[in-house]
Amino acid sequence: MARSKPSSSKKQPKRGVDFKKIKRKIGRKLPPPKNATNTEIKSKAIILPEQSVASERAGLAVSKKGLTLKELLQQTSHHNAKVRRDALTGIRDLVLKYPAELTLHKLAIIEKLRERISDEDKVVRETLYQLLKLVIFPALKKDVPGSLISLMMAYIFNGMTHLATDIRLMAFKFFDLVVQHYPSSFFMYAEKVLQNYEDILRKNHIYLQDRSKLKNALVGLVRCLSLLPCNRRTVDPSYGKNTETQGSLHAYELEVPKEHTDFSSIIKRLEDILPILVNCFQDFIPLVHPMSSLDAQSFDCMLYLLRSIDLSVKFFLYGIDKHQTDFGVTKPTYNEKDMPVWGEIATPVFLRKFLEVFPLNQLHNTSGKDEDKFFILNIEITEIFLHSNEWIFTSAILMERFLEFIENLLSGKIRFNSRSGKALQEKHLTSLLPFIPRLVSLVANTWKSRLLQAFTMAFKDCKPESTLNLAFLSAIEEMLLPSKRQGILLLDASEPEILDHQITWIRELPVLLVRLGDTLSSLSKVILHLLLRLGQYAPMNSSLAWEYDIMQHTLGEFYSMCLDDGSILYGPFMKLPKDCQELSVCCLYYFSSLDSLLLRSLVYCCLCDNLEPSVLFRIIDVLHSAYKIGHLQLVDLISFFVTLVARWKVLPGRLYTHVENAKKISNRETFKAITGAVCSCLRQMGDDALIFQIVQRVILDEIPLNPPIDNLCGMLRLLVILDSRPTKLSEQSIIILSNSISEYLIDAASYIPENGDEVTDSNQISICQYYLVPCFFLFDRSDKLLNLVLDLMGSSIGEDNSSLACNHDTQHTLDLSSRIVAVVSILLYMHQDIKIRRRLSSCKGEITRILQKMRLQLIDPCWEQ
Amino acid sequence: MEVVIASSPVDAGIGCWDLHSGAEQLRYRSCTSTPHGLACVGQRFLASSQLRDSSSSSGSILYWSWSKPQVEVKSFPAEPIHPLVSNSDGMYIIGGGSSGAIYFWEVASGRLLKRWHAHYRAVTCLFLSDDESLLVSGAEDGCIRVWSLFMVFDDIGMEMAKNPYEYSFSEHTLRVTDMVSGYGGCNAIIVSASEDRTCKVWSLSRGKLLRSIDFPSIIEAVALDPGEHVFYAGARDGKIYIASINAETTSSNSYGKHIIGTLSDNSKGVTCLAFSKDGILLVSGSEDGTIRVWDAKTHNIVRIYRLAKGPVNNVLVVRRPLYSNRQTSENSHSSFSRRHAPLLPPPLGKYVNSTDENVDSGAVSVPQTPSSDIMDAPYLSYHVLTKQISELQVFFIFLS
Repeated sequence: MARSKPSSSKKQPKRGVDFKKIKRKIGRKLPPPKNATNTEIKSKAIILPEQSVASERAGLAVSKKGLTLKELLQQTSHHNAKVRRDALTGIRDLVLKYPAELTLHKLAIIEKLRERISDEDKVVRETLYQLLKLVIFPALKKDVPGSLISLMMAYIFNGMTHLATDIRLMAFKFFDLVVQHYPSSFFMYAEKVLQNYEDILRKNHIYLQDRSKLKNALVGLVRCLSLLPCNRRTVDPSYGKNTETQGSLHAYELEVPKEHTDFSSIIKRLEDILPILVNCFQDFIPLVHPMSSLDAQSFDCMLYLLRSIDLSVKFFLYGIDKHQTDFGVTKPTYNEKDMPVWGEIATPVFLRKFLEVFPLNQLHNTSGKDEDKFFILNIEITEIFLHSNEWIFTSAILMERFLEFIENLLSGKIRFNSRSGKALQEKHLTSLLPFIPRLVSLVANTWKSRLLQAFTMAFKDCKPESTLNLAFLSAIEEMLLPSKRQGILLLDASEPEILDHQITWIRELPVLLVRLGDTLSSLSKVILHLLLRLGQYAPMNSSLAWEYDIMQHTLGEFYSMCLDDGSILYGPFMKLPKDCQELSVCCLYYFSSLDSLLLRSLVYCCLCDNLEPSVLFRIIDVLHSAYKIGHLQLVDLISFFVTLVARWKVLPGRLYTHVENAKKISNRETFKAITGAVCSCLRQMGDDALIFQIVQRVILDEIPLNPPIDNLCGMLRLLVILDSRPTKLSEQSIIILSNSISEYLIDAASYIPENGDEVTDSNQISICQYYLVPCFFLFDRSDKLLNLVLDLMGSSIGEDNSSLACNHDTQHTLDLSSRIVAVVSILLYMHQDIKIRRRLSSCKGEITRILQKMRLQLIDPCWEQ
Repeated sequence: MEVVIASSPVDAGIGCWDLHSGAEQLRYRSCTSTPHGLACVGQRFLASSQLRDSSSSSGSILYWSWSKPQVEVKSFPAEPIHPLVSNSDGMYIIGGGSSGAIYFWEVASGRLLKRWHAHYRAVTCLFLSDDESLLVSGAEDGCIRVWSLFMVFDDIGMEMAKNPYEYSFSEHTLRVTDMVSGYGGCNAIIVSASEDRTCKVWSLSRGKLLRSIDFPSIIEAVALDPGEHVFYAGARDGKIYIASINAETTSSNSYGKHIIGTLSDNSKGVTCLAFSKDGILLVSGSEDGTIRVWDAKTHNIVRIYRLAKGPVNNVLVVRRPLYSNRQTSENSHSSFSRRHAPLLPPPLGKYVNSTDENVDSGAVSVPQTPSSDIMDAPYLSYHVLTKQISELQVFFIFLS
């Protein structure tokens, strides 16, 4: 367009002045000038398509610098290290801002990022590590396909064999990261990874200088090895086992092959790696002895080396064990022939050599901090020793050294100096305690007693809230009871010294339980479980069973205690969660004769309002069962039951049943249920006549205490259930009963609906029936009782009439009038019952006497007021 | 003829009723049985372990033949026997002692073949799996143990093995009251009830707890539906709870999780349960001395029998052979005339080696079981065989 401008021709002459004049012929077209092209380029408008993309970026996810994911990924392979690093941080920003980007493009991202695993620049690798660790792996936690891992692994392996040591060590770190997040990936690549570890450790002298790097690599190794299966010594898997299963037990279960790991290749690799680990460790030893201090890095390296050795030893043991349980039961003779498969033929020789270094000691006394380090290392070595103990027969001298160390550790002669030492010591002791039972059962007698002595002392000194207690308890369980797997006792309880220790432990248990209170219910549960097992498994008539019986004296405090001033101090039982309460109640069943003192403290608990009714019913159940197998005296049980019925506090949820005191009514329902439970127990006991005699005696002891109406009703029910017609009640008890029944009836009369024909609250009627029916049964069975009761009712109206006649007490008169109303309504109510009506007809004399008394009262001058 | 037999801990004899017609048969006298202490040995005769007062150290097991109400054979084992079980062809009787030992007798000779220490406390119930290779025992301490009968007699194997039993389940905290097994021999499930108010379902093949169900009351007896969809749990509160094994139960109803219903007759506690062979009629014994027959499909009571005033503690549904017919046919061609039922085997031995002397003296008579029974039971021990051979020899000497 510029070319056709006429102005261009006008300007031509001017140009001619400055430069060489060019002659032009008129009418001829000029060739395009050179500088005109520039405008053309400009008008092409500066990479316009890119500009337009920039405008569309508004909808796209960009990093802080305004770069898209695609650009960032491209930049990660930039030749400039700084750009690469920036790109990585950019990805980090972007992913944090837009998590959806990551899930959408995870494959692309990983594919690009993995290339940086063996980046030459240290900072870039470090940034990548942080990026993966903090952002990408946590975000992808849930859905990570195996393909992603395999994408990474190819480059990680590449890194592991890289020439540059930095990159190699870093690759291990990356692998550690992967394993951390996806533990199963270790098994997929175990062989290759272990091979690489082997290579790197073999050349350890190269890295000896750079210990922090070596440490990093070893951390990864420890993590990998800890994934290997081993015999886990958990406290007791059966306690917390969750049996919440699917709805249908016979349903078809999809059999998914679990870990398809072939351990044989791992075993082979580990066999190779173990000597190298030991060598590596021994390379460190010269560092230890002459030097006065041990720097933190090499200490860590040593520690991790030891841990790795420990873990691989454990794994071998697991193999042997598994082998035995698989085939040992049916074909025990093949054991020895097959065992070499699991690779312990070669190991013992150098392991024994390795263990010779124990104990690591310092020649010169230095700061406490260092001592701690040596202590930790020694403990680790001891642990390895204890693990391997089962298949290496060490020399006696070495054994002595270890045993002495363990003894010192238990008895606290060796202590940590540093401030955090206490916690550390507990932690390490926890790891050693599980070995004690086995050790004690194997070592010679002198050591046995020394170890047990130290163990018992340590257990006694242990604070109740200490975490060590769990370990102690499981060790004690192992030493007291026949083990679950073997079914045989580890320790021979016939030896008096061992028995002494066992008794000490048992005596310590209830004390510990009481001291714990409700602070650590999980620990209390373990103790109670141990007690239960002891009750179940202690051989009959043995001294252990005897000791278990004695324990009930101290266990009373666990339930409740009656103080000197008559108040009751509730023990931890009341506050523990329900499962603990159930366990402790079950323990009662196994006492071969339940002590009445324990029953008393139990009854205080039962009478407490805070006890959940379900636990109360369990107690009734268990005591009844204990009685059935002869662990409880009949009299004791009956007095327990009667006390329960006589003293259980029924909250006075009176006549009117509003919504807000619905709880009070449920309390009465609970009482009814208790009475019902007690009744059914009493009826199942057998000889009704005998039981009736005992119940009658106990109830007559309770009645003079004037129990509340509900409790009296409960007791009457007990009598009625056991009694027959005609009554078996003795003369004397009829007299005592008649006294309280007359009062009781007058109290109960307030529940009688006022007009028989009027439809009143059905609840009230049922309450009224509940109160009166037991009396009617008694009247039906004994005329004498009815006569006496009527007599007493009459005299209660007319009694000391003369003395109070002049006493113009309105209170008294009101009282009297309500009494009369009550008696009348009772008589009317009784009249409605057909059976009782028949009985009443024989006591016309008493009734007329009552009526006369009433008339006398009515003409009494007091009424005129 | 399918009959219900029931016994009681008070002396009320063993009641016997025809399940389908309801007619009462003979009542066998003087029996005070222990819980789970009634067994029908190979349909030939009844055996029951007796409650003894605690003063006597030995136990007692009595035999009744079908045709006579009196006790025919009395044996006195070394200690009180609680549960008693026999295998289906009546070759063996297995009893659980109050010390926790299990006794294994051969019926034909009365020999005590094996006695082993099984539990730390008294054995409360015993049963054999349906292929009779496994013995399951429950004890007062809540422990359940599964024994392979094969292993029990393999002394060398026992010593080599880590534990004499196959499994030991100790999840129950209190006494095991009853157990029942499903079909499938060593792959079956077993259901156990305990005084800790739970029932637990175990897998024999995997040796682990499959399910634990909490009940509102103590369960005294369990019976398994033949289809293994549900099991019935007779409780001390008089109800029979129905708990699901194979149905999906998501919501917990008024009774608790997995409990789908009850059979209830407002009776006293249920003490024992048994299913008829057809799997429709459920027989329950109660504390109040009655025996109820329920239709498990409609949940109705079909029939009520009355045994005694005291509680019932054993109920069995067994097939009773019609002896009268068979005997006449036998008598017609048998040279020895047998008026009455076949003679019962000798009493059970007290100690493991006690009967050796008896054999030498030749005082014990050969069990004269009907020929058909011998066909049923081909596995007589070596002991009995040698005796029979020697007697045959004597017979031949006489002939010659």
